[in-house]
Amino acid sequence: MKVTFNKRDPVYVQVVRHFKEQIATGNLEPGQEIPSRRELANQLKINPNTAQRAYKEMEEAGLIFTQGNSPSKITRDENIISSVREELILEAVEDFVSAIRPIKVPIEEVVGILKEKYNDDVFERRDKND
Amino acid sequence: MKNYVKLVDFELKRFIKIYFVLIGMTIVLQIVGVILESRQYLDKATEAMYEYSVPLMEFVGQNGKFGLHRVLETGYFMIPIGLSVAALIFYCFFIWYRDWFGKNTFVYRLLMLPTARLNVLLAKASAIFLMVLGLVGIQLILLPIESTILQWIVPLDLRIDMSVSELVGQFGYGYLGLIIPNSFIQFLINYGIGFMHVFILFTAILFERSFRLRGIVYGVIYYIAAQVLFLFPIMIEVFFETGYLYPIEIFILEIILGLLVIGLSLWISNYLLNRKVTV
Amino acid sequence: MIEVKDISKNFGRKKVLKGVSFTANKGEITCLIGINGVGKTTIMNAIMNLTPIKSGEILIDGEKLSKKTFEKITFIPDAITMLPQMTIGEALQFMKDFYESWNSERANELLTFFRLKEEEKISSLSKGNTAKVNLLLGLALDVDYLLMDEPFTGIDIFSREQIAEVFTSHLVEDRGVIITTHEINDIEHLIDKVVLLDEGVVRKEFHTEEVRENEGKSVVDVMREVYKQ
Repeated sequence: MKVTFNKRDPVYVQVVRHFKEQIATGNLEPGQEIPSRRELANQLKINPNTAQRAYKEMEEAGLIFTQGNSPSKITRDENIISSVREELILEAVEDFVSAIRPIKVPIEEVVGILKEKYNDDVFERRDKND
Repeated sequence: MKNYVKLVDFELKRFIKIYFVLIGMTIVLQIVGVILESRQYLDKATEAMYEYSVPLMEFVGQNGKFGLHRVLETGYFMIPIGLSVAALIFYCFFIWYRDWFGKNTFVYRLLMLPTARLNVLLAKASAIFLMVLGLVGIQLILLPIESTILQWIVPLDLRIDMSVSELVGQFGYGYLGLIIPNSFIQFLINYGIGFMHVFILFTAILFERSFRLRGIVYGVIYYIAAQVLFLFPIMIEVFFETGYLYPIEIFILEIILGLLVIGLSLWISNYLLNRKVTV
Repeated sequence: MIEVKDISKNFGRKKVLKGVSFTANKGEITCLIGINGVGKTTIMNAIMNLTPIKSGEILIDGEKLSKKTFEKITFIPDAITMLPQMTIGEALQFMKDFYESWNSERANELLTFFRLKEEEKISSLSKGNTAKVNLLLGLALDVDYLLMDEPFTGIDIFSREQIAEVFTSHLVEDRGVIITTHEINDIEHLIDKVVLLDEGVVRKEFHTEEVRENEGKSVVDVMREVYKQ
């Protein structure tokens, strides 16, 4: 696990976001065990307090759950997982829109370029993986 | 207490190499001295008696009989003893300054030990004390051995055999008598005064370590003040010749003042170590 | 909690500290930041009673420092505090002899982690390895508070990474840590709290995550604001 943090958002928020991305992409599967707070701190090179804070937030949001003394796991709740996915998509689109709007491009043109780029990107990724 | 003992052990180990060099040098130089001086005397005697036919009695009359006391006056004895004394006096300073000016400032560690900081001072003083006693002890063992070596070389007719107490006492070879006094009381007095000076010096060093440049002035003032305090009764006797006190009274007064000066030095040192010293 | 209350100190006529106050909590990494010569090391020395202060007070868990406190708090200065002629093993033995809080198990763990050998002489170590031994001597004590003076200065990048890793591990977890630095970049993500010092006073004391969360500012942003005033 390797994350590059920016310096202006709270680190714990960035950790939560990282987990959401992993959940949305399916890299972390429902019910999958996640590293302990200590392991996470070590892997991400962050302070254990920050890891603790991130886990607390995720627990409260229902992204992860802990039963007794066993390690925490990713939620199995489909609703939560799909809402995470939606949230990420929405966020990305919002970012995109707010970046593209000032250029005043007609929406049809944007959609066209978008389709083209999106597919190219998929192929490129496949090439890289091969 | 346990930490004090560990610290003494530690301080001893830090100087042990140089200390062994001092001991080795003392042993070798003194024994070589005894052999060479004895031979030289014997050669002279042989030459006189066989080549110039001087009768034995006349030779002895002119040159005196040979004995260890004669070697004591030579460099073979004076140099190692002088060097040892100088080394230990130097080490009284070095034992502190090495902790500040060494490659790694070890004084951080010493001052952060979970033990009373005065223990650090007491351990340093004890280490010096033990090393002084060690050297004196070795000298005491060496003297009879050297006597025996001398006896092997110089025939009975030409020598005077002397016991250790004769060597250090009645013949008055000043410096040896100072190091190895003839009575236990005198021993306590000599080394008591010696150690009072070590404690005064340590306090002066701590003044310097606490206040740096200004501290040197404080240290020197303290050193002089302590001396004046200690020697006060004697100075009064000498300058005013009052004859007010009997010698025994002066003696007791000196003991009390000596202990007072040691106590005062330790008290000030303790204060400086805990409140004023800086790394 | 370490409470530094209104401490002042002069070097000759120069006022190095003019009423410095801040706190450092247990379980948090507090970072004293300021340019060189601003008195960071002096503050550390003052906390450990290694240099006298003119006025003010320093409390550790509500108590003044005493000889017993050295089992509870330790200081890792920027240079190693062992005799150069000692081997690493001898240095560890020295610590074990004097400190009840010495944790041999952890010391061995750290030796392995830093890839250090007990039989190596301290004087023969590289700068990076010397810094690691120095750190080890402090970290292997079961103390509640750790003070570190410029742990990242003057060593190679790999040693720096290894040392940074210590801060993400159980070695500092639950302890109160105060570190000084004049270079925040390497450790910005690691620290909980920042105390900005300038010209002998505390200019600002803040929690890093709070500032990011509430003001969207990085530590460097805050520093820029404070020092430009």
